[in-house]
Amino acid sequence: MEERRIGVYVCNCGTNIAKMVDCEAVAREAEQLPGVVAARSYKYMCSNPGQEMIQQDIRDLKLDRVVVAACSPRMHELTFRGALQGAGLNPYFLEMANIREQCSWVHEDARAATSKAAALTRAAVKRVVFHEPLEKRYVDMCPATLVIGGGVAGITAALELAGADQPVYLVEREDHLGGNVARVDLTAPYLDSARDILAERIARVRENSNIRVLLESEVQQVTGFVGNFTATIRTGRDGEVATTEARIGSVIVCTGYQPFDAARVQSYGYGWFPNVVTSFDFERMLRSGRIVTDKGAPPRYVAIVHCIGSRSQEFHPYCSRVCCMTALKYAHEAKSALPEAYVYDLYIDMHAFGKGCEDFYRRSAEIKTIFLMYRKGSAPEIRQAGPKYDCEMLIRVNDQLSGEEVDIPADLVVLMVGMESREDAGKVARMVNISQDKDGWFIESHPKLDPVATTTDGVFIAGACQAPKDITDSVAQARAAAARILGKIARGRIEVDAVFAEVDEERCSGCRMCNELCPYVAIEYDETKKRSHVISALCKACGTCVASCPSGAIKARHFTDQQIFAQIEGVL
Amino acid sequence: MAILANPRLVGELEHYGAGDVVKCYHCGNCSAACPFSKEPFIFPRKSMRYLQMGLEDKLRGNLEPWLCYYCGECSEQCPREAEPGEVMMSMRRWLTAQYDFTGISKLFYKSWKAELSAIVAVALLTGLGFWWWGATHGDIRHYDGPQAFLASSFVHAFDWIMGGVLLALLLTNCARMWWFSMGRSRINVPLTEYVRRAWLLPVHFLTQKRYRECEKKRPWAVHLALMLSYVTMLVLIMFFLHAFQEGPEISWPHHSLGYLATIGLIGASVYALRGRIRRSETHYKHSHETDWIFLILLLYVAVTGIVQHALHRFGAGHAANILYLAHMMGVVPMLVLEVPFSKWAHLAYRPLAMYFSELQGAAILAREKSAAPAVRARAA
Repeated sequence: MEERRIGVYVCNCGTNIAKMVDCEAVAREAEQLPGVVAARSYKYMCSNPGQEMIQQDIRDLKLDRVVVAACSPRMHELTFRGALQGAGLNPYFLEMANIREQCSWVHEDARAATSKAAALTRAAVKRVVFHEPLEKRYVDMCPATLVIGGGVAGITAALELAGADQPVYLVEREDHLGGNVARVDLTAPYLDSARDILAERIARVRENSNIRVLLESEVQQVTGFVGNFTATIRTGRDGEVATTEARIGSVIVCTGYQPFDAARVQSYGYGWFPNVVTSFDFERMLRSGRIVTDKGAPPRYVAIVHCIGSRSQEFHPYCSRVCCMTALKYAHEAKSALPEAYVYDLYIDMHAFGKGCEDFYRRSAEIKTIFLMYRKGSAPEIRQAGPKYDCEMLIRVNDQLSGEEVDIPADLVVLMVGMESREDAGKVARMVNISQDKDGWFIESHPKLDPVATTTDGVFIAGACQAPKDITDSVAQARAAAARILGKIARGRIEVDAVFAEVDEERCSGCRMCNELCPYVAIEYDETKKRSHVISALCKACGTCVASCPSGAIKARHFTDQQIFAQIEGVL
Repeated sequence: MAILANPRLVGELEHYGAGDVVKCYHCGNCSAACPFSKEPFIFPRKSMRYLQMGLEDKLRGNLEPWLCYYCGECSEQCPREAEPGEVMMSMRRWLTAQYDFTGISKLFYKSWKAELSAIVAVALLTGLGFWWWGATHGDIRHYDGPQAFLASSFVHAFDWIMGGVLLALLLTNCARMWWFSMGRSRINVPLTEYVRRAWLLPVHFLTQKRYRECEKKRPWAVHLALMLSYVTMLVLIMFFLHAFQEGPEISWPHHSLGYLATIGLIGASVYALRGRIRRSETHYKHSHETDWIFLILLLYVAVTGIVQHALHRFGAGHAANILYLAHMMGVVPMLVLEVPFSKWAHLAYRPLAMYFSELQGAAILAREKSAAPAVRARAA
């Protein structure tokens, strides 16, 4: 093996690493390793002077391999790869040793931490010797996008993409666009009409020749990989069914949510008491302009109960986010439609986090909504009122703010049903290969920094299919997803990471074991050759197939057996 | 047993000035800011909650509004401008109306027109009655002596009759107050405790020492001056009227006290009126109609009283008698309408509330203490 010229750079990370690890000692020890021609420690390796120091050494000392002992590669691997590339070195000649998250942050004994940091650095040095020059590859980007779901998020995403002159397939299961927002009267907190918000956007969708709207349609299948998907869309119910094949480059999933079924909470008597209705039943009354009890009379007492199905151990532990402000909206609408009525609002905590929401809460109090705070797990109980009362029902509430148990009169009870993931969300997830959390919501790539991408390149999520969300946030996400896609379209091609698995066709026996195991559905089976092969654009280099292949025919680039054994040897 | 809430209560209290209570979201800043709020009477938040929820009976038996002297600290700290101080004030007005069994108080608080009409009617009746008596029994040109227009013996007798009736009304209301807050409550206070702590009543009445605990001292001083002047004047008139009305020699012990009280009454009422007009302090920011009527009547009575006295002493008997009539036309409506039915009644209710609350507090603490070992035993 030819002699390597390796540079080792130990980062202090301010005091993050240096307070527990003797960085200078780690560098001194690394200096002794075979092939190492320079080992330095520095305050901030990721800073410009730090990177320049590495580049200077690459040029002056003719380094051909670099080890950076610093933070997690998730943090700065791309930074240092860039530094290598800037100095004319293949970026994959870098190896990072994580001596922060896996060392200084988690240990309390400085000596032991230093010796562990030295071991990790040694492992990196041993491994980097076997690094191979890898080249990035590119695939074409088809500019068309498939938007699944014609609610407010889907409509917005479609308009955004079509506005940039890119073709869109907008697929909606129902016979009309609008989704759940189309079932709503006014919106919180500014009391704008949902109909106004939607009607204008739907008209624009209809007029836009870039958008192909497919109503009463469902996506049957999505195959391919980022920039090069093929979707099969089925239109029509029973009898007449048409199938559309669409070549698309990206997918935005905007399948939204379904309302919680109030009948599941028996203590509220939904379905039993005729005047206990859900928020969507109440929206229907509001939209028709007729708020009445089953007797046809306007209610004198309206009670709104929060958190039906939400924030409960029995049903959904999460908060559905929109119900609090929707409840306040009902208080406003009920008061304006029935000025003589008394409106009660029974809540657990008032979540008024959005812009304008705290002010809306305040105004709801000013119009004399009577707020009662009940305890999580001690739900209000509804019962029929006797003839001596002037109301239909009585609700027993254990008010937390007074410690008193009270009966309040009610003619109409509105249950604020929470949001839940759609029953068939799992089917969609499997179709586009994205994951769901324990509550069925689709999982984003990173909750803070990458909220609309998923672990599958080219597949984005927007709106309430990701988690309960109001119109504002759904629209923001839809536009964000569209912007992500337009960025890819603008570049015209997609960079594919050089790190992926490859099947050696000579050694593959065609057993197809790997096909089933690949979590990213990145392995295809070629029927004519009787061999499996990896679609590199889909592969995330997890290594599952490599480990499972009985013939040892699969090799993971940048994670070769040789590299890993060298690393193990180094750490021991 | 759950209590049936009355959603109309908030609307009802709005007439008494508690409109802002709906803004409260129970952060508790007010109770934290209040220098009086101590276990077991943590206020004003909880009283505000009873009101918001429509727990009418709880509120009716609640003494906490009377424990508040309205220094305004709570209203200044309130993040939602729910005006807890003013809400407590409004609850005192409402409680006054609740204690009054005749319903007149409620009428006055809800309609200033009704109160003003009643004042005018009583004033006219008083004027006519005294005019008739004076004209048939004396001479308008004589203020004192055997031909006096309004002889002190007659006015004295009138005062005592009126005083008796008003005291009976006020005592009935006080008894109702006791029933709501103590009598029907489940907290049992033995009679001996009532006797043992009875000294609290005159102490709170005469010193208003709790008011002094507020951070701002001036409102306490003004309030005390006004109250002491009022009481001095009441005592002087009820017992020593002849010393003022008869001449020509001046009885200085009585007169010096009278002048002091007059200065106190005029000074304090002008101070309060000016404060309310300028909204200079938190407790002057909101004025109910009854506040204006009370202060204007007070000032009117004090001014006409001193002017008729001066005219008499300067020998203008005719003019003094006319002013005396005008004075009586203010005094009688003020006493008849304010003592049992309106703001004046707090002179009795507030010290009573202090006294009752001390008894109640001691009983609650005693009960907790006796319950504590049982709790501990259960925990073990």
